[in-house]
Amino acid sequence: MNEAKVKSNTPLLIIGAVLMLAVGGGLWFYSSSKPLKTGVSPTPTPTQQKTIPADAPKGAEPPNQAGGPTAEVTLEEFADFQCPQCGAKHPIMSEIKSTYGSRIRVIYRNYPLPQHDKSYAAAVAAEAAGLQGKFWEMQNLLFSNQQAWTANPAYKGVWKGYAQKIGLNVDKWETDIAGTVAKLRVDADLARVKGVGVGSTPTLYLNGKEVAFPGLNVDSLKRLIDAELQKAAPQSQTAP
Amino acid sequence: MTETEAPKIEEKSTIAKLPILAALVALAGIADAIFLTVHHYNAEPVPCGGPFDCEMVLSSPYSTLSGFVGNVPVIGDMPLSIFGAVAYFIAFCFAILAAFGDRRTWPLFGVQSTLMATFACYLFYLQSVVIRAYCQWCLISAGISAALFIIFIISIFVKRRTA
Repeated sequence: MNEAKVKSNTPLLIIGAVLMLAVGGGLWFYSSSKPLKTGVSPTPTPTQQKTIPADAPKGAEPPNQAGGPTAEVTLEEFADFQCPQCGAKHPIMSEIKSTYGSRIRVIYRNYPLPQHDKSYAAAVAAEAAGLQGKFWEMQNLLFSNQQAWTANPAYKGVWKGYAQKIGLNVDKWETDIAGTVAKLRVDADLARVKGVGVGSTPTLYLNGKEVAFPGLNVDSLKRLIDAELQKAAPQSQTAP
Repeated sequence: MTETEAPKIEEKSTIAKLPILAALVALAGIADAIFLTVHHYNAEPVPCGGPFDCEMVLSSPYSTLSGFVGNVPVIGDMPLSIFGAVAYFIAFCFAILAAFGDRRTWPLFGVQSTLMATFACYLFYLQSVVIRAYCQWCLISAGISAALFIIFIISIFVKRRTA
């Protein structure tokens, strides 16, 4: 008998069992650890009550903000256009913005991570769109289509397509990208990042307190915002 | 039993043990890679602490593979760990077949483990020089790839010594 020949089906059975366990186990782990979009989910808590220092740089002024400019509750997001986690959490932030409208103020801060080759340029492109009043439209397209441009060598052409899509004056947008105003805004946000001590993206601060990133979903974030709105309500009523 | 038969039995026994050890180590690699893959698709950060900054490594562009034809993404945001899981599974298959007597698969395991260890070195370089942050789960994977390669090298020396 040839020694090289496998003598039984045992190894194939083991391989099959391991394959099933790996695929099945992976799917089970995925479904069991996936944050639920609906239903009861753990409420994220402020991480070790980390707060924004009072003397932290203000960042770009005026900030890129949506909702009510004078709302009692402020949700400040530090994100990076090329960070996959930021892209994954973008729909949550969009839903929060549309749900609360002017009842809260949502601020976006640029935190282009140094290891992302197109992050800084993307932040500048969004700020240049902001100079024409279309920051959020560009921000939405950059996050929603993150996979289409992050590894694309022709990413600048892709962004130009976004600029046309949202109705920017493309020539002015390109001039602003090459200029200093948009870059200075990104740099101002980066100074705030450093002053606040933000360590990763995305990082959220709700009324100046950091919100834990793990387990974050629409429902859990809503509960935190609602609690802040309730806290703010009596103060508004008693205010002269 | 004659005196000349003893080394052969010893060799057979040692050679069989190493592929089994390799298969067990590859299983650990599969588990680690699946863990990272699931965390990627769940968009949840992995547990990380001490001197490690897993988020920095796992959110870097080097942690995923994307292929483009023109501007159209063909492979979109596939985590490297999914390829790692497949590579470990292939190594596991070669090792388990070798453990059950199919000697042809052991050299294939050698090629596979060499490629994996080489790629692990490249990933370690990226963490230490380019990203300047380490992810413990990636380092565990690199250690497992190195262990598979070392097991194969040991098998060559054991074979030479007992020949």
